[in-house]
Amino acid sequence: MDTADLGALLLADARLPTGAHAHSAGLEPALVAGLRADRVPAYIDSRLRTVALVEASAAALTLRLVRSDPSASLRVQDELLARMPTAPSRRASQLLGRGLHRLAVRLWGDHPAVRGMAGLDGPPLRPIALGVVAAALGMREEQVARASLYDDVQTITAAALKLLPVDPTDATAWLLASAPALEAGVAAALLVDDDPTHLPAHTAPLVEQHALDHHTRTRRIFVA
Amino acid sequence: MPDTSQRPLRLGVAGPVGTGKSTLIATLCRELSAQYEMAVVTNDIYTDEDARLLRSAGVLPVERITAVETGACPHTAIRDDVTANLLAVEDLEQAFDPLDLVVIESGGDNLTATFSPALVDAQLFVLDVAGGGDVARKGGPGVERADLLIINKTDLAPHVGVDVEQMVTDGSAARGGLPVLALSQSSPEAVARLREWVVALIESHRAGEHTPQDPGPMAPHFHADATEPHSHAEPHGHPHP
Ligand SMILES: Nc1nc2c(ncn2[C@@H]2O[C@H](COP(=O)(O)OP(=O)(O)OP(=O)(O)O)[C@@H](O)[C@H]2O)c(=O)[nH]1
Ligand SMILES: [Mg+2]
Repeated sequence: MDTADLGALLLADARLPTGAHAHSAGLEPALVAGLRADRVPAYIDSRLRTVALVEASAAALTLRLVRSDPSASLRVQDELLARMPTAPSRRASQLLGRGLHRLAVRLWGDHPAVRGMAGLDGPPLRPIALGVVAAALGMREEQVARASLYDDVQTITAAALKLLPVDPTDATAWLLASAPALEAGVAAALLVDDDPTHLPAHTAPLVEQHALDHHTRTRRIFVA
Repeated sequence: MPDTSQRPLRLGVAGPVGTGKSTLIATLCRELSAQYEMAVVTNDIYTDEDARLLRSAGVLPVERITAVETGACPHTAIRDDVTANLLAVEDLEQAFDPLDLVVIESGGDNLTATFSPALVDAQLFVLDVAGGGDVARKGGPGVERADLLIINKTDLAPHVGVDVEQMVTDGSAARGGLPVLALSQSSPEAVARLREWVVALIESHRAGEHTPQDPGPMAPHFHADATEPHSHAEPHGHPHP
C-alpha cells in the first residue's frame, strides 16, 4: 500500500499526537524580547532560511540514508547536534523527536529504520525522527522536507493566535506568503549530498539566545 | 488491555480553576509519601505555577515534581494529545524507579475536560462549594464519571450559602452510585477518607484488579419523558468508600 501522500498529510496535521501543540518555534521568547506582531512574517522568513532549512535538510537526508542503512540516523543526528548549539533548543527538539519516536514504535515498531533509532546515544532530535517516520510511511524526500518546513511555519502561526491579537485568517495568509521561501527551502534540502557532514549549517544566533532566555523564565506557556 | 499493574498507579486530578487541585495533591503527598514512593506532574497555564506551589509546600523532594508546558491547551494535553505528559511521567518513573504513585494535575479547565485513559489509570474530579451549589447537578463527564468526585472546601459552605448535603446528593444522583467525597483541608476526618480511597486504589491497581474507566467527553443523554440524566458508567473494579 502506497502511504506516501497520506503520510505527507499526516505529518502536516496538528492532530497527530506528538506533543507539538506545546511548542511555538521560538515565537514566545521572541515576543518577550520585543518582536512585534507585524514582524512575525519576517521571523517566519528568517527561520525558513536558517534553522528550519537545516532541519528540513536533516530530515530529508535521514530519510534517504535509512532506506539502505537503517542505523544511518546516528550519523545525521551527530551532525545535527553540532548545528544546534544551545541546550534548550536541543531539549525542545528532543521532546518533539521523542513524541514522534513513541508514535513510530507503536505504529511501525518492526520497521528497520524505527529499530535503527535504538542505537542513538540520546533521544532523537525532531528531524531525525521525522525522517524515520517518513521512511516508515514510504514518503519521498521532497515530501518530508516540505512537511518539516510547513510544520515550522504553522507552529509559529498557531502560537501567534494564542499570544497575539491576530485574526486567524491573517495567520493563514502569513503561511501562504511564506511559500517562496518555503519552496526554496525544499529545493535546497534536496540538494544535500549523501555525506551528513555536508549538511547546511545556517544558524540564527538570536533564536538561540531567545531559547536560552526562555529556559530560565518561570512564566512560560510554550516549551520553546 | 496491557498489564499496567507492574508500573506505578497514574492518578489524574482534574476540575475547574481554583477548586483546590494543587492543595489536594500536596495533602496526598503529605499523607502518603511516608508509605509510598510518589512523584507529581503539573500542567498549568504559566507552566510552573502549580509546581512552585507544590515545591514550596515541601511535601516532596523538588526533583520529583515536573511542570509540563501545554501551549495554552490544558484540555488537549490530558485528552487529545497526551504525549508531553506521558514523556514527563515516564521520565519520573525512570528517574525514581520504583515509584508507587504518579499524580498528574490538569491545568484548571472547564467541566468538559477529563483525562484520557492513555494517560491515567484513574481520576479525581474536583469541584468546590464556592463555585456554586449548582455545578454538581449540572454534570458533565468529570462530574458524572470520574472515579471519585470531590466536593471541596466544605468549610466555606456557610459563607457562600451552599448546602453541602444537597451538593453531595446532586453529585451522587448524577453519578449513578459512583463515589462522592465532601472534603475540606480543615477536616481531618475527610482527609482520612480521601487517603483511604487512594490507598485502596493503589492496592487494587497493584493486585491487577483495577480497570481504568474512561469518563469520556460525551454528554449524558436525556430520555424525552425523563428529567433525570442517564449516564453510562460501567461497574468499577475498585472498592468505594
Ligand atoms: N477554605 C478552603 N480553601 C481551600 C481548600 N483547599 C484549597 N483551598 C484554597 O483554594 C485556593 C486554590 O487552591 P489550589 O489548590 O491552588 O487550586 P487549584 O485547583 O490547584 O487551582 P489551579 O491550578 O489554578 O486550577 C487556594 O487559596 C487554597 O488555599 C479548602 O479545603 N478550604
Ligand atoms: Mg493548581
